[in-house]
Amino acid sequence: MQKYLSQQNFIALLSKLISDGKRVVAPRLDAGTPLYGPLADSAGIVLDQLPRRSAKETFFPVCEDIMSYDKVGQQVTLTNVTPASFPETILVGGRPCDAAAIPVLDAVFSWDYKDEFFLERRRKTTIIGLSCTQADDACFCTAVGLSPADHKGSDLFLTPVEGGGYACETFTEKGEALVNGNRDLFAEPNGAQALPPAEPQVEKFDLKKVKAWLDDHFEDSAWDGIAVRCVGCGACAFLCPACHCFDIVDEGTEKTGKRRKCWDACGFWKFTHHASGHNPRDLQPKRYRNRIMHKFKYYDDKFGQTLCTGCGRCIRFCPVGIDIATIVSEIGKK
Amino acid sequence: MTNTIDTSIYVAITEAIQGEVRRILSEGNVSAVIGYAAARRKGSAQPTVIVQPDDAEKLIFSAACVNNLAVYLTKAKKEIPKTGKIGIVVKGCDLKALVGLMGESQLKREDLYLIGVPCAGVLASTAQPAQPLTSDTIAPKCRECDARLPTGCDFVPDQQPVIPELERRYSAEIARLEAMPPAERWAYWKEQFKKCIKCYACRQVCPFCFCEQCLCDRNKPQMVETTPRPAGNAAWHIVRGMHLAGRCAGCAECERVCPMDIPLNLLNRKMAKELKELYNYEAGFEMQEKGPLATYDEKDDQSFIK
Repeated sequence: MQKYLSQQNFIALLSKLISDGKRVVAPRLDAGTPLYGPLADSAGIVLDQLPRRSAKETFFPVCEDIMSYDKVGQQVTLTNVTPASFPETILVGGRPCDAAAIPVLDAVFSWDYKDEFFLERRRKTTIIGLSCTQADDACFCTAVGLSPADHKGSDLFLTPVEGGGYACETFTEKGEALVNGNRDLFAEPNGAQALPPAEPQVEKFDLKKVKAWLDDHFEDSAWDGIAVRCVGCGACAFLCPACHCFDIVDEGTEKTGKRRKCWDACGFWKFTHHASGHNPRDLQPKRYRNRIMHKFKYYDDKFGQTLCTGCGRCIRFCPVGIDIATIVSEIGKK
Repeated sequence: MTNTIDTSIYVAITEAIQGEVRRILSEGNVSAVIGYAAARRKGSAQPTVIVQPDDAEKLIFSAACVNNLAVYLTKAKKEIPKTGKIGIVVKGCDLKALVGLMGESQLKREDLYLIGVPCAGVLASTAQPAQPLTSDTIAPKCRECDARLPTGCDFVPDQQPVIPELERRYSAEIARLEAMPPAERWAYWKEQFKKCIKCYACRQVCPFCFCEQCLCDRNKPQMVETTPRPAGNAAWHIVRGMHLAGRCAGCAECERVCPMDIPLNLLNRKMAKELKELYNYEAGFEMQEKGPLATYDEKDDQSFIK
């Protein structure tokens, strides 16, 4: 289904969803930093900059309680968090690199173990994607086979058009339901020209060749050169739309506390630190190798997908300037 | 008003660094040099380790050379072989960290070959690497730099930086926060710490965060909540601020790399200010084994004991 949504009606749609009691998650400023988060007021939406963290946190929060315990006398009570209580959510303004990562994450969260925390939020969320008209030299969605106008992962996709407003296209029943439930705000397509999509400059990777090299080079001196500068923080993994490792920790006192699920990162020394004291990934190049292997080999082996959507956040915010686009591109030419 | 800052000396400094590194690596008394090389993004630079004299030509110095390379000399970084003399390119602010590390017996002066850079300033984390250096794009720490010409190095190119007088933003911001009632100040920091995702970029780039195992990674017993939640986040940044008091000399790497824009250097500058007022002590200028918070003197002020 194709429609036109004026800028005014776009804001009106957000206001209506908020007043209907829906949880509307969109990019907005949080203490000055652009982040996806619940919108209290439609005027707070900020669409002219890429949110610092990806949209994955809408489904897979930075940290969430999954259980609590209370001890009274000798009586211990365990209380599960029930995903059924999660609210209906509309994710608005998801960038193509962020929206495309969600179906990639579906694969791992619904594989041998069904992660109900992720999956319930997924079921209850409608994603309104937004085409990109600007890219910087860290953007590389086109290098991994996506594009600034890719609707992958979006239920409803918005493309800014000449003269203002958006051309809208629905791709799922959820997207159609959203349009049908707010028919008065959507008009028939007005034929306005779409604003030209952004043009990321990184050359397309040969992902087959990249994987072929990775298949045979777990041990290779090239890793030392690639990762010597890595300082072992989690900035890349935490800003990444596709990285999904988490840790589960119990925090509290003897009497009361919570079991929490929170983001973890393979760049950390502690990530593979065994209880025995041994660490199989004892040096940073081995940890960085895992990052590349997981994204361009292991995930492909297991799920037939690449675990990178080219958002460029890890490039922009790596404290030491590690550029995954350069690394993967060079691997593809080996 | 935006003033352009003259960085034309960086061309000559780049040539001088290349020449010196080629010489020291050829002569064989230095085994590796840690410096900066150009990277793919326009105008960008990244840390690099050079071992071959012919690779010296890859080295650059520009306003995008923001990193404090001293972190690569700490024991936290096991990837850089510490055999033989190591050369390192240092700005004045980076050198202060090395002075601190030598004071704390983490490094020996005779194991280092210091290539000092006369520095007119580097870019703020909010600037794009290709942007020119101006009074708007310069890093906040450079606005109040007191170490533009590194001293005590083995080699320093002759160029003299010329810098306009710039407003000191940390001092102004600290004064603003100090003037707040405690509840308001706490509310400010709660808003900032709430954003923390415990990526530990602040810790990993810090030359003084060289603990074999960070207190905040311990779980037997757990000292600080490891999850990225308000209480544990605040505890982490306060613990770190205290541990750096009297040691941090203001390279501001923690603040530069924070992907959540938390103004971490404000905590460190506030502690530095306290140390200056209480003990007339400033970190980074001379080698000292123990800073004021690691020593006891009978003449210390004890009025706080009630």
